Amino acid sequence: MREPPEANDLRAWQSVFAASLLRAGAIMPDRQAVHRNNTRASLSSALAARFPVVRRLVGPDFFRAMALCFIERQPPRSPVLAEYGAGFAHFLDGFAPAREVAYLADVARLEWARHLAFHAEEAAALSIERLTAVAPDRLEQVRLGLHPAASVVASAWPVVSIWTTNAHDQEVRPLGDGAGSECALVTRPELHVLVSALPAGSDRLVAALAEGNGLAEAVARAATVEGFDTATALSVLFRSGAVASLSVGSFHSMELS
Amino acid sequence: MTVRSTHLALAAAVAAASLMSAGAGAQTANADKEKCFGIAMAGKNDCAATGNNSCAGQTKADYDAKAWKYVAKGTCASMEVTLKDGMKRKGTLMPM
Repeated sequence: MREPPEANDLRAWQSVFAASLLRAGAIMPDRQAVHRNNTRASLSSALAARFPVVRRLVGPDFFRAMALCFIERQPPRSPVLAEYGAGFAHFLDGFAPAREVAYLADVARLEWARHLAFHAEEAAALSIERLTAVAPDRLEQVRLGLHPAASVVASAWPVVSIWTTNAHDQEVRPLGDGAGSECALVTRPELHVLVSALPAGSDRLVAALAEGNGLAEAVARAATVEGFDTATALSVLFRSGAVASLSVGSFHSMELS
Repeated sequence: MTVRSTHLALAAAVAAASLMSAGAGAQTANADKEKCFGIAMAGKNDCAATGNNSCAGQTKADYDAKAWKYVAKGTCASMEVTLKDGMKRKGTLMPM
């Protein structure tokens, strides 16, 4: 056993120790390497639990190697493990060895959105009857407040279909030739995280609503995207529990029924 | 588009959205469900009576008496699980 470091050396020793915990090649004296192994293993397990579909797409060995690269470059900044992994999707954008799996980063975005939804604040969701009760001539001034757990991931890839089959099916179902870009809505009705498909352009609708714009303005921004459908978008948003408040006019009030 | 036709287009879309939602079974309504305690497998609970708000899927043990799962209304008391020690127990509407 090595003698404990002198008190005046402790600070220097700790910073060397902390730095070498995350670096693969760092030389660690005596039995300290066991701590590095534990740190790296626990962080990569946390990422594997958070990004199960990414892991399935590239395989466990590749995932582990990829996770360790990420851990070295972006070690946790917070002691809360549940907050770790926010930068993983962005890291995958530039991770050359995985470039072949072009949709990997978007799948990671979707899985991170699910993780955030799982931990988001609870609020009651409104049903679409609240919207149909508004007089038709006042509809364009309707402002919708999103549920704290709701978010949208728009992708150039069929990200909802890829996620769905890899998350639920023992055997991955091949996607048809027609599979194109998809827009995913993540919500948490009844405390279950749900992934739904929204029409193309709905990300613009949701972003405009989140900025506090009225429904007419939000629809106008989304309608410039080919394939956008107002009725389908509103139906999916309300049905999935994405809307938590509704007000008419410029005054924006939270209504939690 | 004139102001008038924007009105109409939006009203029509809302009406259509409402029709699509009808019958789709609002996933946000739980009028036909009840919270059933003591029947959820480890990691399969909907929530628990232990005051944890990020609770879904967080139980560590099978049939945790404080963890609940949504079931169809009226069916909780008829659910029976076999505990590790071989004892049988029914679901309850309150934490045990």
